[in-house]
Amino acid sequence: MEELLKLIVLGLCMGGIYALVAVGYVVVYKSTRVFNFAQAAMITVGAYALYQALIIWSLPIWAAVLFTLAVGVALGLLVERLLMRPLIGQPILAPIVVTLGLMLMVRGVVLMIFGGQVYGYGEHFLPLGAWHVGFLTLPMIQIYAFIISMVAIFALIQFYNRTRMGLGMRVTHEDHVVAQNLGINVKRVFQYSWVIACVLGVISGMLLGNIQGCCVELDVTGIMAIAAILFGGLESIGGAIVGGLTLGVLQMVTIGYLAPIMPGEPIMMVPFAFMLLILIFKPYGLFGLVRIERL
Amino acid sequence: MAIHRPCGTFDRTYYEAKAIFRTRLQWGMITALILALYGIAFVMNDYLLGLSIVIFSFIVAMLGLQIITGYAGQISIGHAAFMGVGMYVLACVEAHLGWSWWVGMPLAGIGAGLVSMFFGSPSARLKELYLAFASLAAHFIIVYVISNWETMTGGVDGIWLSRPEPLLGIDFMVEHNYYLLVLTLCIAMIYLAKNLARTKLGRAFVAVRDNDIAAEVMGINIFNTKLLAFGIGGFFAGIGGAMYAGYNEYVNVEFFPLNDSIWFLGFLVVGGFGSIFGAICAAVLWKLLDEMATLMTPVFTEILPGLAFYVTASFSLIMYTLVIVIFLVLEPRGINHRWNIIKASYRLHPFAY
Repeated sequence: MEELLKLIVLGLCMGGIYALVAVGYVVVYKSTRVFNFAQAAMITVGAYALYQALIIWSLPIWAAVLFTLAVGVALGLLVERLLMRPLIGQPILAPIVVTLGLMLMVRGVVLMIFGGQVYGYGEHFLPLGAWHVGFLTLPMIQIYAFIISMVAIFALIQFYNRTRMGLGMRVTHEDHVVAQNLGINVKRVFQYSWVIACVLGVISGMLLGNIQGCCVELDVTGIMAIAAILFGGLESIGGAIVGGLTLGVLQMVTIGYLAPIMPGEPIMMVPFAFMLLILIFKPYGLFGLVRIERL
Repeated sequence: MAIHRPCGTFDRTYYEAKAIFRTRLQWGMITALILALYGIAFVMNDYLLGLSIVIFSFIVAMLGLQIITGYAGQISIGHAAFMGVGMYVLACVEAHLGWSWWVGMPLAGIGAGLVSMFFGSPSARLKELYLAFASLAAHFIIVYVISNWETMTGGVDGIWLSRPEPLLGIDFMVEHNYYLLVLTLCIAMIYLAKNLARTKLGRAFVAVRDNDIAAEVMGINIFNTKLLAFGIGGFFAGIGGAMYAGYNEYVNVEFFPLNDSIWFLGFLVVGGFGSIFGAICAAVLWKLLDEMATLMTPVFTEILPGLAFYVTASFSLIMYTLVIVIFLVLEPRGINHRWNIIKASYRLHPFAY
């Protein structure tokens, strides 16, 4: 029982980061109807940008974090303007291929600049160590990561609900043409969505880079987060949070109970098997919109 | 999509209307091309023969993706894994049952087709983006099963296998004989794919791609059609995998990484959708770029000593993405469309109408 509780708490911490990544996918999909596979690459970008600023340039923490966020904003603007805007109105495969290609391209650029080693931030970013609460041992970086992701998601929800731009983004989600007729600058909305998604990706990259170390394979975590969105539904931010936390717990429980029985690395495979099951039994997720089609 | 037919050729019989090649010139050119492909086997060195064999195997696999994605419109991000299933079926048949390549090759096709159909079965309820997720999951699950089912697949060590046994006194251990075998198979598969696209089933694929509800209203069983598309596409991938594995005489999980699945899809877009010629162009371009990246390695070693390994790995990733993105932005309909335009303008040449 204690063991299970421990796994669940650790799973929730990991799930917080999954939720943050998943929300990034949802933001872009909600307003632009493009599924941005390159969100996974933003994690790598964030982790390495922070490494560059914090360790190589040895900037103070606040400057390094600001630099990383700025990289995220710039990347969002660039990707939206150069790649995604010419593809509006193209068949669905075009954005899929471009974003997948972008993911591999980021991998290539990172390999070229940093090589294939694993880097860590050491003690320069979030404090190391652990808290002892009863029988639980909570690693501090995980707890901080969970808190930071939840704050970021909370800020995003406030942005959606309280600001004019957030309202515009929700309208754009309904219908692009209708939104344009209502006087909403749809292009600007797209721009904002990409910037927000990239910033969220970069934040999760900083946190993951702290926990797992900076390596090229960080984007696999991003791909695994796709399972979380499918669970919650592609259009729902609440669903992404629920899905992310569920996925984190599921993964930790797998490590605890299934890994000794199954050969190899079931931790990699479990999210995808989970994803296939959801797709078969609940194709639109828990809170996703069921599309009704007509001729 | 024939934009313009050669001037002055009319279809007077059903036989003429069905013909793939309409004029004597076309017949002559295709015969010359095939003869030339057979002929150069005896003048090429082993390096060029090996490159051609790889290209032919990937042409066959690419035709499979063209059937799944280009004709039937079901996005698959797991095609390299289906090709890998073909490789491993062949390897297991040879290693555990002791059967020869000649039996293993069709079994590889059928095995990959069945696996592809299994992972394509969510297409009963899923469309477009959601189906792409399902096939992405398929890739990871297939790789997990293959690398961990050690009694069958040998895990990460891979399996050694052998080339086809001699047939009619031809020894396939000799590089140019294997080239001729692969070339013959490749031409047969291209012929098969080309004709498949023109049958009732091929037209049903196109109908499902363009509007599946309308297709259902017209009496096409959508689910069966989609499953058949996955099955046939997987069959092609399996045959391509068997050809590739037979050349290398070894299989390993590293032969079909996720990147390859993505490049399959990306280069299909570069080649052009819904055309056999496009799929051929796509595979040739992909593998030629691949070879170019490998040839660049010594150059990088000279410029950036010590970093060459990573630079080579990243160079191909960056170059492929740039090629795909440039094509998508400038010529979204692919090489095939451009080729049709060139042909049409040649036919019309002095008259600009």
